[in-house]
Amino acid sequence: MRTYAPADPAAVLAELLAEPSLARGVVHHAILPARPAEHGDFPGWLDPRIVAGLAQRGIARPYRHQADAIESIRGGEDVVIVTPTASGKTLCYAVPILQAIAEDPAARALLLFPTKALSQDQVAEFAGLSATAGLQVSASTYDGDTPAPIRSAVRTAGQVVATNPDMLHSAILPHHTKWFQLFEQLRYIVIDELHTYRGVFGGHVANVLRRLLRICAHYGSHPVIICCSATIGNPGELAEALIGRPVRVLTRNGAPAGERHILLVDPPRLDPASEARGSAVTLAQRWALPFLRAGRQTIVFGRSRVAVELLLSGLRESLRESRGPRTRVRGYRGGYLPTERRAIERGLRDGEILGVVATNALELGVDIGRLDAAILAGYPGSIAATWQQFGRAGRRAGTSVAILVASSAPVDQYVVHHPEFLLEGTPEEARADPDNLHILLAHLRAAVFELPFEPGEVFGPGPVDDLLAFLGEEGHVREAGDGRWYWSSENFPASEISLRTAAPENVVIIDTTPDRPRVLGEVDLFSAQVLVHEHAIYLHESAQYHVDRLEWGERKAYVHRIDADHYTYANRAVTLKPLDVFAEAAATGGRRIHGEVMVASLVTLYKKLKFLTDENVGFGPVDLPEIELQTTAYWLTAEAVRDRWRRHELDIALLGAGRAIQTVASVLLMVDPRDLGLVSQVRSPHSEQPTIYLYEAVPGGIGLAERLWDRHDELVSAAAELIASCACDAGCPACTGPRLEPEIDAKALALRLLGELGAARHATALPAVG
Amino acid sequence: MTIPLADPGSLGRRLERYRSAARGGLVTDAARQVELPHGPIDRHVLAERLARTLGGEVIASPGGSYVRCESESRAIPLDRERLARLPAQPAPPVPLVCLDTETTGLATAAGTVAFLIGLGWWRGDRFHQVQLLLPDHADEPAMLTALARHIPLDGWLVTYNGRGFDWPLLVTRYRMARRAAPVHGGHLDLLPIVRRLFRHRLDDARLRTAEAGLLGLHRHGDIDGSEIPARYLGFLRGGPAEPLVEVARHNDQDVRSLARLLVLLANDYGTTEARRSVPAGDLGGLARAYAREGRLAEALECYDVAFSADPGATPPIAKSDVTLTETRRAPEPTGRLPWWSPDVPPDFGGRRPSAIQAGPSVRSAAFATPWTSERIAVERAHTLRRLRRWESAAEAWASLAAGPGRSAIVAAIELAKLREHRLRDPLGALRATGDGLALVERRRRLGRPEPRLEADLRGRARRLRRRLAGRAGRQAVPPTNGTRGSMASPAQRPRTRSSSGSKEQAIVRRSPASALR
Repeated sequence: MRTYAPADPAAVLAELLAEPSLARGVVHHAILPARPAEHGDFPGWLDPRIVAGLAQRGIARPYRHQADAIESIRGGEDVVIVTPTASGKTLCYAVPILQAIAEDPAARALLLFPTKALSQDQVAEFAGLSATAGLQVSASTYDGDTPAPIRSAVRTAGQVVATNPDMLHSAILPHHTKWFQLFEQLRYIVIDELHTYRGVFGGHVANVLRRLLRICAHYGSHPVIICCSATIGNPGELAEALIGRPVRVLTRNGAPAGERHILLVDPPRLDPASEARGSAVTLAQRWALPFLRAGRQTIVFGRSRVAVELLLSGLRESLRESRGPRTRVRGYRGGYLPTERRAIERGLRDGEILGVVATNALELGVDIGRLDAAILAGYPGSIAATWQQFGRAGRRAGTSVAILVASSAPVDQYVVHHPEFLLEGTPEEARADPDNLHILLAHLRAAVFELPFEPGEVFGPGPVDDLLAFLGEEGHVREAGDGRWYWSSENFPASEISLRTAAPENVVIIDTTPDRPRVLGEVDLFSAQVLVHEHAIYLHESAQYHVDRLEWGERKAYVHRIDADHYTYANRAVTLKPLDVFAEAAATGGRRIHGEVMVASLVTLYKKLKFLTDENVGFGPVDLPEIELQTTAYWLTAEAVRDRWRRHELDIALLGAGRAIQTVASVLLMVDPRDLGLVSQVRSPHSEQPTIYLYEAVPGGIGLAERLWDRHDELVSAAAELIASCACDAGCPACTGPRLEPEIDAKALALRLLGELGAARHATALPAVG
Repeated sequence: MTIPLADPGSLGRRLERYRSAARGGLVTDAARQVELPHGPIDRHVLAERLARTLGGEVIASPGGSYVRCESESRAIPLDRERLARLPAQPAPPVPLVCLDTETTGLATAAGTVAFLIGLGWWRGDRFHQVQLLLPDHADEPAMLTALARHIPLDGWLVTYNGRGFDWPLLVTRYRMARRAAPVHGGHLDLLPIVRRLFRHRLDDARLRTAEAGLLGLHRHGDIDGSEIPARYLGFLRGGPAEPLVEVARHNDQDVRSLARLLVLLANDYGTTEARRSVPAGDLGGLARAYAREGRLAEALECYDVAFSADPGATPPIAKSDVTLTETRRAPEPTGRLPWWSPDVPPDFGGRRPSAIQAGPSVRSAAFATPWTSERIAVERAHTLRRLRRWESAAEAWASLAAGPGRSAIVAAIELAKLREHRLRDPLGALRATGDGLALVERRRRLGRPEPRLEADLRGRARRLRRRLAGRAGRQAVPPTNGTRGSMASPAQRPRTRSSSGSKEQAIVRRSPASALR
């Protein structure tokens, strides 16, 4: 099945499916029909220069969603635009901004992007648009790379300023008086890649936006907020949580699309007796090669840097053997230089580069044009991310192919064997809890620093006088003679907050690889225990670092760059104590509860696990003190079974069911399984009932627990479903977790327990996700 | 979120737990547990307490009240004519307002407040001083109004690091109050002047150091700048005002030192006569300051005075018995840079500001070169060239080219350039390149090759020979690798400092900055 001549993607796919060894692994094959373009019209009020400029760029008429967005934004509505990759969302906000500046050169717009590279891309695109329209618009980035002399020019004269939330938080808002020209005339705030602002980061960004809007109000401006998001389950809800205002959700996509084939592939078992499956990486290569040989532009996604390198060298090797276009296949991942990345992006757009192997560094909205085939070696962790990566393949006309090759990880297995989950299920919801007390208090300090608070002033959920009084006890703020609250400390509060972590105190990770050690990042103490203990492999932007030394007292971890074939997993010994109940309700067989808990965590041991196979290749001790974490949790009690079951069977059943619930919960809520901790107690000292706790591994929580409490029934059913549909005999790491007592059928016990808790027996219907 | 903040019971419980976690467990930052009074303190009480302790008066106004302390005027005569002759100084009739603030922090961001503004101005020979103090955050509008009244429309501010700190901070305060900052005629920041003129003989650029090193003033019992915010914040929280007495005295002295520094500049640097008695290194800096403004003739005058000074009599100048390259200090490890290095932020006392907006330094390494008499000679030669006094410049370079070290090679190149392009003496230019190459050769034997300079010289020589061959037909051209001596030594050609403007040609082409600049 060697195809050397250029061929249509559909033809290549047909050939691949004719190959029995490959076709055997295909679990599901869906065909999404082609969709024609839906056009709207540019509104009559639009400046003719802008219309002419767009026409010059080949845009005679906008797509439907673009026209809708332009009208809504112009009408002063806050919107969230939900569209797939490369559907022309820049136009949606660029047109109203250009129009505002054409009408009044004093008008300003602020664009927020999660990364520096994206803001550069967008500023370049903006400059192009305004140039063809013949408008003088000063659009620039303002971030850590902006040289000092240019900064002051941007502050005073930048009409369109692109930056990132961290820069807004630490450099712009605390210095808002130097930006008064911007804040006085701010008409539009664009928040691109909204879906990336979730979890702790989302909570921080929401508070940064509260501060931003507060400053705007001080300067008398009332900007319209335009959010752009990839497809997620709750774009409107997330946008409202982040900006604290109602938004109009625009989801209709008017861009045309060709026919698309979606394939879900499960590597066959190596032998029927074992659980082990073939490697997703190897199989992904086999699926990718024919497309490359046929001259089709193909992207292959690997989950880690190592996977990317393996895929890249494998593909190049095979292409060399068969004299294929070896040199036109490139890698793309964190650690590549920006110029290198730009060159690859350009190469993909103009067709010079045929294939690219990437990590999710390419997942965000970087413009690489549209390709013929996308092959995912491993489930990227969420429905939304999967569709974003699938979305890289999809020409406006003609057939395209997207293939997901599962790994042997439990989540992957669940996903490929429940195709309706991926194809019909609503994408995950992204959650951000702006009112996490730790995060809220930190930003409240920064907000007082920026502007004094009036008595009764609202910040976030309500008037914050009580919280300010609380801060007053520490002496950071004071109530002055006029009743307002003022910052009264010599500290600079914004510098004490990192947007990427929740706890006020963090372990700083220092990379000693370069001549001048640099700070790689920060993790909160609770995560530090398991992520940066000595000899841990720390992953950062899909690069691996070995932790040489952890100075716990100084809160510093020293790491150096390595290439290892394994990662580390630290075992947490956890004790948990409920502190407060926020919500409680009866559930089948027991109760479901949402509340606050204290988790004491001790890490004593870590394991080394091989990449791809998760094989255990060694272990070592960890010597760190116990730490306490106050967080929110969701827990369920199984009162119905308390007295009817044998104690050790109940123990195993609780653990097995808990594991399954944890797996399903991480899939449903689009979080790393490590963000949710699991504790099961046969007889909880608190309630004296058999209890399964799922707690958030972030101080104060980010709202996941509340969500789980809401969706208790789904969790129980889906967990039962996961276990029942697992191909193993009596429990395996993919469903009930590693088997501790091989002679006991953990699978049956866990299923029985979940049945008692209300899971429909032999459930086959997939829980409605979303 | 789950728990509405409006639910006071729940919020109270959560805050209590947050507090206990902050004190007991995760957060060790609970050291600052001070007993604080509950509720705000009456602002009038604060104002009265402040006024009583500092011996000032409470001035009440619609925007609040502030405390005004006036100290007795002193005779500090300043010759404004002389001052005006210095670079970047205001014209004699312009009113001057010396200004120095004490603040609650070092960030010029929105949450830092100037709680004490010290002002000083001349009336005749008398120097008057007033301090404005803020009794409570709420009273700031009143103090800002009062400050605006003290700054005349055409007045110049005189500060120490005020361009970078005090004034931007005050502008921020006005903008916070949604008001325009007071209009003024100009801003004379003494920090850059002190850096430019005196860094070759001061340990750092703090006002305190300048006072001691330049004015001979030594403060006793002065407080450390880093203590100031805490003293004021303690007062705001209901503490005593007594700790602020020293802060006010400190500020009072700072403002007076601004006046005295101006007097020093006017008296010792304002005339050529006065300059003869100051260290030559100061004049090097002053000359650069003039040159920056394009006042080249005055820059040359400074270099001339410095050049004619007996090197032995001016200890601050390092004797140039070592080559220029060697006197340049090797880059020290990060964190141990000398204070005058362009990479080090100015140390004006207090704690270091956070590096959040520190941009990259763009100044050249040559800026950190100490003032050797050789450097003065080089700068002088450059200035002569920029003044288009080609003959004099050529002489200056020639005498440098006869000296030792790398700078002699550079001088030979400069000499060749001048002779070729300005003096229409290609033969002489070729001779100079030959001498330069001989110097390169000698340095190579000493194990210090100069590939860049050598390439420059070889290219130059090649071009010159081609040009001469083209012009003079078969006329003999001397070899480039000739021995030294074809060029006049300093003994044969005595230094002539100014052969004013003979044979100056109107070619408007600047030679590129040489390796020494």
